[in-house]
Amino acid sequence: MDKFLLRGIEEEGSAAIASYREKGGYAALEKALSMKPEEIIEEVKRSGLRGRGGAGFPTGMKWDFASRDPKFPKYLICNADEGEPGTFKDRPILEKNPHLLIEGMIISGHALKAEYGYIYLRGEYPGAKVVLEQAIEEAYKEGLLGDDILGKGIKFHLSVHQGAGAYICGEETALIDSIEGRRGQPRIKPPFPVNVGAWGMPTIVNNVETLSNLPLIVSIGGEKYAGIGNPECPGPKIYSVSCCVKKPGVYELPMGTTLREIIYTHAGGIRDDRPLKAVIPGGISTPVLTPDQIDCKMDFVNLPKVGSMLGSGAVMVFDDTVCLVRVCWRALRFFEHESCGKCVPCREGTGWLRNILERIENGFGRKGDIELLQDVAHSMAGKTFCPLGDGAANVVLSFIRQFHDEFEHHIEKKECMA
Amino acid sequence: MIELTIDGKLIQAEKGSTILQIAKANNIKIPHLCWDRRLKPYGGCRLCLVEVEGQRKLLAACSTPAENGMVIKTDTPVLRKARKTVLELLLVHHPLDCPICDKAGECDLQDLAYQYGPSEGRFYAERKHDPEATSPLIERNPNRCILCGRCVRVCWEHQGVGAINLIGRGFNTKISPAFEETLDCEFCGQCVDACPVGALGTKPYKYRARAWFLESTDTICPYCSVGCTLTLDLREGKILRVRGMDGVGVNEGDLCGKGRFGFDFIYSEGRLTKPLLRKNGEFQEVDWEEALYYIAERLRDIKETHGPEKIGAIGSARTTLEDDIMLARFFREVLGSDNIDSSARLGYAWALKGMEDTLGIKSNPVSLNSPIGKEVVLVLESDITSTHPIFGLKFLEAMHEGTEVIVVDPRKTKLARRGNRWLRNRPGTITPFLYGITHLAMKEGVHLKKDITAEGLDELEDGLREYTPGKVSELTGIDEDLFREVALRFINAESRLLTLTLGAAENQKGLETIHAAANLLMLLGEGPEALQIPSDYSNTYGAWLAGLRPLSGGKDLYGMLYTPGSLKALYVMGEDPLVTMPDAGTIEENLKDLELLIVQDIRLSETGKLAHVVLPASSWAEKEGSFINSQGIRQMLPKVVSTTGDSIADWKIFRNIARVMGHDLGTVEFSQLKEEAGKIVPEEGTRKWRFIPPEWEGLARTTEEYPILMVTGNIMQHSGSLSVMSKSLSHVLSDAFVQISPEDAGRFRIGDGEFIEITSPKGTVYIKARVSDEIPEGMLFVPLHFAHARVNLLTEVSRDGKALLTPVRIGPRKGNGGSPAG
Ligand SMILES: Cc1cc2nc3c(=O)[nH]c(=O)nc-3n(C[C@H](O)[C@H](O)[C@H](O)COP(=O)(O)O)c2cc1C
Ligand code: SF4
Ligand code: SF4
Ligand code: SF4
Ligand code: FES
Repeated sequence: MDKFLLRGIEEEGSAAIASYREKGGYAALEKALSMKPEEIIEEVKRSGLRGRGGAGFPTGMKWDFASRDPKFPKYLICNADEGEPGTFKDRPILEKNPHLLIEGMIISGHALKAEYGYIYLRGEYPGAKVVLEQAIEEAYKEGLLGDDILGKGIKFHLSVHQGAGAYICGEETALIDSIEGRRGQPRIKPPFPVNVGAWGMPTIVNNVETLSNLPLIVSIGGEKYAGIGNPECPGPKIYSVSCCVKKPGVYELPMGTTLREIIYTHAGGIRDDRPLKAVIPGGISTPVLTPDQIDCKMDFVNLPKVGSMLGSGAVMVFDDTVCLVRVCWRALRFFEHESCGKCVPCREGTGWLRNILERIENGFGRKGDIELLQDVAHSMAGKTFCPLGDGAANVVLSFIRQFHDEFEHHIEKKECMA
Repeated sequence: MIELTIDGKLIQAEKGSTILQIAKANNIKIPHLCWDRRLKPYGGCRLCLVEVEGQRKLLAACSTPAENGMVIKTDTPVLRKARKTVLELLLVHHPLDCPICDKAGECDLQDLAYQYGPSEGRFYAERKHDPEATSPLIERNPNRCILCGRCVRVCWEHQGVGAINLIGRGFNTKISPAFEETLDCEFCGQCVDACPVGALGTKPYKYRARAWFLESTDTICPYCSVGCTLTLDLREGKILRVRGMDGVGVNEGDLCGKGRFGFDFIYSEGRLTKPLLRKNGEFQEVDWEEALYYIAERLRDIKETHGPEKIGAIGSARTTLEDDIMLARFFREVLGSDNIDSSARLGYAWALKGMEDTLGIKSNPVSLNSPIGKEVVLVLESDITSTHPIFGLKFLEAMHEGTEVIVVDPRKTKLARRGNRWLRNRPGTITPFLYGITHLAMKEGVHLKKDITAEGLDELEDGLREYTPGKVSELTGIDEDLFREVALRFINAESRLLTLTLGAAENQKGLETIHAAANLLMLLGEGPEALQIPSDYSNTYGAWLAGLRPLSGGKDLYGMLYTPGSLKALYVMGEDPLVTMPDAGTIEENLKDLELLIVQDIRLSETGKLAHVVLPASSWAEKEGSFINSQGIRQMLPKVVSTTGDSIADWKIFRNIARVMGHDLGTVEFSQLKEEAGKIVPEEGTRKWRFIPPEWEGLARTTEEYPILMVTGNIMQHSGSLSVMSKSLSHVLSDAFVQISPEDAGRFRIGDGEFIEITSPKGTVYIKARVSDEIPEGMLFVPLHFAHARVNLLTEVSRDGKALLTPVRIGPRKGNGGSPAG
């Protein structure tokens, strides 16, 4: 498959508008501006695009809800908070192909009748900020943004909002809070942001990668797009592969490529050709898999069948030298640090889990600690306010389920198997 | 309506309610810690989880809207386990210092932990925040905080303040004043009542008693006319604290700082314990017998020599209805004098007269919930959240529910800040503002669509001709387009409300303002309910109804206090005219001319210092009685504590003097009096409408010599001169001050906190300046509560009820002598 999202990013100066135009950029926008908003939404529905931010919500459906809300103004927010360890799939678009995102956002703005767009950018991506702002300026200069885009009487303004440096601000309602200048804590849903979002107005939040698919959908049409990858959740997908592989990095592949292909064909296989021990397929908050599960297709439909999730598509590969108790402990340290503190199970539970894992890792594990971990995790799973705490609990549960022996060994022998 | 099943019970409910709301309404108990009836659901504590058939996950009852056909279980082994672990998790960071926590015994966390069984205490972590002592009245212990966020949300969502916030993340989160300072706090203490654990408490109560030793009694607040129910907690006969109880009283549990902290005035060192009699120019403590015989003899003498028309009485807006009835009866039946009046004369009486002149009604009680559900509400030069705090909250609540609250005020009041729109007008220009809207309404022809038969329409139309938007803009200083927009918004609204206060302490609105407001409303076809004017104090309205006013041609307050030589003897009950009434210099001269001045009060007031006899009265908590609040509701006060010293309830003092004078007023027992008070009903009026043509006399006159307008009024932490006796409230604010705009401060070279002199044609006073952007250029705002400032030496009295702002000049204080005003 030809690359679309990451096309030409290895070239020098790929972020410049001229270079983007050379690859045929902004042609889709011209087409889109001649379409009615409803027609674009129809195409998106037909394309079967599902959100790339983690939850895989059908984008067409979200847009439909938003466009049915009679309130105006509507806001379009691009979620570029990418803050989960192991996830770095949005970064190459932001830094190397910003005009793809901008084009996608202008098309989306038109489709949703939103006149203002914001890119909520992770605080730790200062480089991307410079690139994006530069690109936005170029787009304004060429009449692609502003009050009268390409003379079609369509208005769309775009600006970058630097994030608050908290993982939770990637959650869409916390993100909206943060944009409004508040603390950034998830809000109760319903009402959903598509009805009551930023400043109380209908607000559409989509991931960078999601919005970057729009030019493709518009140019080849929804039907053709639906033929890419797994027909149940089609399209190109960026997988970010890290840890013990020969060629860590980002790979744009059709949705539904197997884990095996990603690891062994694209990422070059395991470092030093060691045996594979475990894979986290979709970012730190998705349940861990064992080597016999890697023939699974990496998409929103097939991963749940083996007890995990696609999440952000961040593949973390571990060989036999890695201590999984340690990985689990590090994950919980992350969740504890990032828990916003709003709800009790997450706020208190993540710290407790981290504490137990820490003592096991350091050789002070006690008998019964595994059961205690499970007990605490069960009392969190499904009971927290937002998916952050849920994710933390499920990570622990999956590690214990898949690698029970390793935990036991740690406790009994006070040392690591690896 | 929807139908759902909770714990096997089929229940019908309003669509849009949450599962928790419905459960509560049907007496099904679901535990909760972060939910608060007044606030938006938060969903943080996760205790209210319930099982819903067909849902994979447990749902939080507080934040899940109920749907038709839902089958809900609220108590299952799964839920009990889930709740138990939540509690266990909560206790991870909660210090188990219950033995030294004031909340023990009434702590929701303690109760729930008990209910769900002991925690296994498998994990324990400590937080090491210091208990914080940054606030004079509120104590925070962040280690006990369970981060339910109720305090923060009550402060912001419900009180509209936002003095505190959550900072930090995870379990390091803590409640903190914005920027670690208490700048914005109003000391309402609402956060303290909202806290389910012992993380917030009131300072005066700290370590005073264990909850289980307290006895609780409900009574009515002595301060403003809202008439909130206070729950007094006593130990060994002493009031230790006041709380609001969710759902109880007209306030439904809300309280302001005066109600919550101001009760301690009864324990003030200044309380009178014995009658004082002036002998050879000095006060001497005497016993009641001597005092009463002296009074009886002097009154008899003066009545015989000068006639009863030379004896007068000023009653109180804070004594009970029963006290007031006895004062009136003593004067009418024993002395034969109808010279009786109260401070209502200076404010509320004009509001009543204004409404009678126009709407033909003799009384118009407010309704606390009136703002809710209205499309547009206009708040006119009135700082309602300060003067009537709990009524004020209703405007915020209405706003949350979609009402557009428009505030017209020169001062940046809380409602000005929080309301939907704020128009800053020149002080004292609400009347032409109203004329302007009325003028526009006529131009729009609204009255033609309604069938208005009231008299005076043509004269009104004639008189209003000049009040075009352009002219109104010129007079009020409000932008013409903005004025037009707001006026049309109000005129074209489906439902609307006008509200203002007309208090004895205020000088920027008057009778003409009431006329103008009523004119407008009648023209729009609105009845009296659309005009909400609360009475001032706890019993202002009661005093009026009990007959503390001339009923058969007697002298009124103006005739008694401001007319030289009109009286030989004056009886003042529970009022301090020298502090709270305008033109105090004239009052002082007239009081000094009296042959007999009797002052009956709970402490030695400024007026008392001039008296021949001072009688110690029992305070509000020390006697039985009742108040009539601004809603016209009579509410009973129990006797809660024993009397101070030899003080006696006011009503008994009159009974006793009457007895000494050989009159039996027939009232031996309180029960008879109570029954008599129960018969009081407001008068009706003809309900015939009449328009009053414009009568506004133009902008208050500033001159080159007196270039600034001084506005007087009440503030949030004080009320009349009573609250100044409260140690707690004085902790927050005890110094007299004047608010001045940054512009004028610059122009007259006045620094924040400096003493300045204010001079009017009547005199000069010295007072501390507070530079504040709440005040526009060209205006001063001065609260009148503080006796030592004597601001009322500068003001004038308006005998016709018209607004009368005081033109003054200001400057840095010259020389460094003691304050002549002190
Ligand atoms: C704790 C948490 C963190 C999240 N972080 C991100 C993020 O960094 N980027 C992102 O696009 N979505 C993130 N999400 C998902 C968003 O809430 C939201 O679902 C997404 O932005 C929707 O976009 P999509 O429909 O295009 O996927 C996060 C969700 C949670 C619960
Ligand atoms: S006392 Fe009132 S104003 Fe002050 S922090 Fe508490 S709720 Fe807010
Ligand atoms: S101080 Fe009390 S009310 Fe405020 S968050 Fe903590 S526990 Fe809740
Ligand atoms: S002063 Fe008024 S608002 Fe405050 S508690 Fe008392 S009655 Fe209520
Ligand atoms: S009461 Fe529902 S989560 Fe706290």
